[in-house]
Amino acid sequence: MARLLLSLADGASSAVRIIGQIAAWSGLVLVLTVAFNVLARYFFSYGSVALQEAEWHLMGVGALFGMSYGLNQGAEVRVDVVYDRLPRRLQVFVEVLGNLLLFAVAVLIAWLSARYVQSSYAINEGSPDPGGLPMRYLLKAAMPVAFVLLAVQALARAAADIGRHLAPIPVAPSGEAESLI
Amino acid sequence: MIGAFFVMLLAGIPVAVCLAVTGFVFGYAGFGPTLFNLVPARIFGVVTNYTLLALPLFIFMGIMLERSKIAEELLEVIGLAMGGLRGGMAMAIIFVGVLMGAASGVVGATVVTVGLIALGPIINRGYDKGVATGVICASGTLGQIIPPSLVLILLADIMGESVGTLFAAALLPGLLLSGLFIAYVLFLGIFSPQKVPAIPADERAVYSGADLAGKLVKVVLPPIFLIVLVLGSIIGGVAAPTEAASMGAFGSVALAYFSGRLTFDVLRDTVRSAFVTSAMVFFILILAQPFGLAFRGLGGERLVQDAFTFVPGGMDGQILFLMLILFVLGFFLEWIEISYIALPLFLPIFAQAGVDMAWIAILVAVNLQTSFLTPPFGWALFFLKGVAPPSIATMDIYRGVVSFIALQLIGLALVFLFPALATWLPGTIGW
Amino acid sequence: RAQEAFAWKMTNAYSPSSPFYVEGPGSPTDFCKKVAAMSDGRLTIQHFAAGELIPALEGFDAVRDGTVEMNAANAYFWAGKLPAAQYFTTVPFGLNFQGMNAWLYHGGGMELWDELYAPLGVKALPMGNTGVQMTGWFRKPIESIDDFKDLKMRIPGLAGKVYAALGVDVKLLPGGEIFPALERGVIDAAEFVGPYQDRRLGLQNAAKYYYTTGWHEPSNATELLINKVAWESLPDDLKAIVQVAAMACNLESHTWCEANNAAALKDLVENHGVQANVLPADVVARLKEVTDQILAEGAAADPATKKVHDAFMAFKAEHDQWSAISERPYHNSLAG
Ligand code: NA
Ligand code: NA
Repeated sequence: MARLLLSLADGASSAVRIIGQIAAWSGLVLVLTVAFNVLARYFFSYGSVALQEAEWHLMGVGALFGMSYGLNQGAEVRVDVVYDRLPRRLQVFVEVLGNLLLFAVAVLIAWLSARYVQSSYAINEGSPDPGGLPMRYLLKAAMPVAFVLLAVQALARAAADIGRHLAPIPVAPSGEAESLI
Repeated sequence: MIGAFFVMLLAGIPVAVCLAVTGFVFGYAGFGPTLFNLVPARIFGVVTNYTLLALPLFIFMGIMLERSKIAEELLEVIGLAMGGLRGGMAMAIIFVGVLMGAASGVVGATVVTVGLIALGPIINRGYDKGVATGVICASGTLGQIIPPSLVLILLADIMGESVGTLFAAALLPGLLLSGLFIAYVLFLGIFSPQKVPAIPADERAVYSGADLAGKLVKVVLPPIFLIVLVLGSIIGGVAAPTEAASMGAFGSVALAYFSGRLTFDVLRDTVRSAFVTSAMVFFILILAQPFGLAFRGLGGERLVQDAFTFVPGGMDGQILFLMLILFVLGFFLEWIEISYIALPLFLPIFAQAGVDMAWIAILVAVNLQTSFLTPPFGWALFFLKGVAPPSIATMDIYRGVVSFIALQLIGLALVFLFPALATWLPGTIGW
Repeated sequence: RAQEAFAWKMTNAYSPSSPFYVEGPGSPTDFCKKVAAMSDGRLTIQHFAAGELIPALEGFDAVRDGTVEMNAANAYFWAGKLPAAQYFTTVPFGLNFQGMNAWLYHGGGMELWDELYAPLGVKALPMGNTGVQMTGWFRKPIESIDDFKDLKMRIPGLAGKVYAALGVDVKLLPGGEIFPALERGVIDAAEFVGPYQDRRLGLQNAAKYYYTTGWHEPSNATELLINKVAWESLPDDLKAIVQVAAMACNLESHTWCEANNAAALKDLVENHGVQANVLPADVVARLKEVTDQILAEGAAADPATKKVHDAFMAFKAEHDQWSAISERPYHNSLAG
């Protein structure tokens, strides 16, 4: 039981990690896009509405997919004034509770935003600016997808904590182990 | 609602989760499920908010500088160059905060960037953790008052002032605050030198004056190049304030390349870390949306309005009350939400009384800036916590910011007592 | 049934305390007050400016799914959802305030608007108008069509497409960044609204050449968007109150703009060294050529747009003939 939980959690976390590692490059693309727009306008008076819109499209996708990857890497921020003084078992409880709550919130938002995407898709929404990027619903669709990933990651972390708690043998913690800082 | 939020927060549930859960639960109890259909729209608004673009861009720049060791050397050498002066590195951080503030207006961006660059080196130098984190948070929030600034742009919009007027009005108060921070560090250097140690004489002795000058030129030039790139592109009319951050980020890649440090590993590492760090900030902003919605839906702003009718003391009393409200709301709400809740209530009254709105705007801006620092829910504190090494506890940060909050309040009092600090410059240059 | 009370919400695409768009005579908040007064509190509408409940441009979806009952904005913000919506705010070289309202109220405009919106479960009423807008602020004078070549300009929407065809480099910028960008020369020109609103942004401190004609926005209608189910639930007297209040705001907001723009323009010219000029005739003629072409392309691409376009242009052709012998000689002899 504990092993199954752990390996499921591990698999889910790995999937989130790989998706995140790919999505991370959107940051570099963003830097290059904005820099290109600035320099091309200044030096060649070249400007494209679509490329300007691409700036915040890239930011949006990065911000949304970053959530699950950030959680995967243990980058969530907490107030640890009391937490640090709690016994280990209670810390695990807070940890599991936090992840289950996050799971619930993420599922709820994914569900809410699926409707939001649907109403955009139903009318083939594009940019209101001529020359802007078409198919706005694709950008909006990043929302439910990203929140599903977040839900998966939150559940995986909760499962890993429970599994480790149940497992008699010590297991290296997943995810947090390679915390970035 | 606020109480439940604090309990979860203190228990150690991640900040973003506390915000979302409290928002959903109390919103549902208060007005049912319908209003939550608006949550996706709010989230979409946050992640596609053009003015937040500077955030991922500056974070990228900060991490690139950190990973390619450029920043570390810079602070190191400035510390050495300041020689026996106690608090030299802290002053260097304030200076960097002012410069970054002059380039950016997004608080998360500056705090995270300065935190990434400077927290490690300054702690290694034996600085008190509280002073180190306090000076970084406070310097990081300077970007909110030193133009260009997101807060000022939003205030201009809400208050109906020209953005240019507010930029001009904010300049002197911003420099005044920076001056207060520096004075405080000097003061610490005299009265508690162990908190802000100078670099030991024997370490300094390794370098001759000429060596140091050479090294200084070598390590100071690249970051100055970046600052010139960012600020210069704004002043020179190459880039709008938000876009200018891309010049810094792009420049940092170029710098790493020309200093021979840009390997694929460094780039991949930078890309991933920058992604995680931006995500940390956005995670909080995104999951704060249900909370903000619930606060509105439950009529939180009406509580504020009702309280306002009982204020004594005429115009000064009302201004002070506004300051108090902003300060209190700053404990648990995000500044954009605060601006939208508190300001529209007060503005008509001040406008009718003929109070200088630019002055009010600056008072509000300094106040909001302070609210970034107030525990337990100062955004700057969370952002710094997100990039701080595990050895830094939240308590260290809380302890550290207290004196800077006091300095901010002194600055606020000065602007209140001497409105000319805000109104003189716009009047003089005709904005 | 007739005594049932309704508590509605209205969102707005504009920021808190914006004159005309949020506050002041004939504004959306004024509309809410008027409705509450006329209905003796039976229909109260709580107003939320942009960002208070939802971001600026999310009002359409919120009304569509019924989460809020009303939204105040401009129909052309929804051009990404419904390209034909453009025609219910303004059309470049289209109709002025008088003509636009004549079309909407009596020329079949509102019926077409209803027809366009009905499948999405919403309906709209005109609730305000800025009147004619200004071409915008330029750092250098515009003397010929070549001066548009490589000009960097903040200009959203359909007019942006027209300028782009003339070699203008179109820059999208949020309202707050117009001033710093124009002041530093990141952009060479910017369009916003008219003298009163533009002065509020301080644009006169960033550029000195202020051009008219409002070719790109000869008038600009504020849209009151209403959820259809909510609308049907209102008894007839409240429906009438909403309609009459929207009409009153349409008139009052426009007259407010006329009065304030006159005073603001005088101040800009006399006290801020602003040079107010009319675009050269050949420049305007070229802009018109390109506009006609772009409007025709838009109509060809979308059947719903074609229907509205044809109706609008047919009405305009007739109205032009009338104004050619009524308003135009009157204005011309006044100016002369
Ligand atoms: Na700034
Ligand atoms: Na306009």
